[in-house]
Amino acid sequence: MTWTIIDEGRYSEPIQQALEPVLLDRVDAGEIGPTLRFWYRERPAALLGRFQDYSDEVATGYVEERNLDVVRRITGGGAMFVEPGAVITYSMYLPRSEVPSDVEESYAELDRWTIDTLRDLGIDVSHEPLNDIAHPDGKIGGAAQLRRENAVLHHTTMSYDLDIQEMLRVLRIGQEKVSDKAISSAEKRVARIGEYVDISRDDVIDAMVDTARNRFDVTERSLTDDELAAARRLADQKFSTSVWNEEL
Amino acid sequence: MTETIDARSSKKVPDGKLIRVDLTYDDRIESVTITGDFFLEPPEAREELERAIEGHPNDVERDELLVAIQDVDASLIGFTAGDLADVTREALT
Repeated sequence: MTWTIIDEGRYSEPIQQALEPVLLDRVDAGEIGPTLRFWYRERPAALLGRFQDYSDEVATGYVEERNLDVVRRITGGGAMFVEPGAVITYSMYLPRSEVPSDVEESYAELDRWTIDTLRDLGIDVSHEPLNDIAHPDGKIGGAAQLRRENAVLHHTTMSYDLDIQEMLRVLRIGQEKVSDKAISSAEKRVARIGEYVDISRDDVIDAMVDTARNRFDVTERSLTDDELAAARRLADQKFSTSVWNEEL
Repeated sequence: MTETIDARSSKKVPDGKLIRVDLTYDDRIESVTITGDFFLEPPEAREELERAIEGHPNDVERDELLVAIQDVDASLIGFTAGDLADVTREALT
């Protein structure tokens, strides 16, 4: 499988989220091949899953006070708090033919190269169904997928050195959700890559790119002007509007 | 004239996701909103699931709800039609 890697560009959260359907649709239409994109953010933000209720998940008063971006993803799954430089987010846009048809199997398969990279760095991580990357201390990251007719989006966010206290101020972490995990403190639920390695976040991303190079046929490119223009339009029309972000 | 009631119930599916049902009902289920950290393919099917639950009597049998939910052409990921039927009936009680 030949992957094209896009590993550059710092964008606002609405543009980042808008790039997801833009690139997924281009793979779906056969205009571009398998693509891996790393994200670089401008500001802290809260991300909502496609089906989550805004006020159930976000501490609305604090978010307004801090003027944080809250952006709904096109994928399901849970709310996340992200900060520039403190998380690693990447997206894979793949033809369906390259992805196992079984959903559970596809999460495990598409997380594998990342988990192998982290293990090579000495971190005790494993895939935890359905969509978690887990360390014995807690969850390091999570993935979410969306399927189109001919393409699959698989995007993952992992904590490098996320500010957990701030996360707990921004998100309402439901007790309900942790009730079956026998964990008393929400803090214990997040484990951070930076606690287990002495290398920088950029070095971790470089290690991931190296894994991809060794495993797949890899080329690199930038986003095209056309892709960016489409994402900026979609950010304006959808991903920066309260209709999309706050309503269902 | 039956009183209109707003109700909410939720369930964290073991080894699965959280589903939450908000509904308004009198003698029938008037409106439904399904939220949570689940996955659904295609995502637009959420509204079809909501429509499938609406209109049933407030003492609807589980099997009747289940059939209506299963009739929606969608992949439910992290929960089952049975989970959704159970949460809906819990909100009605």
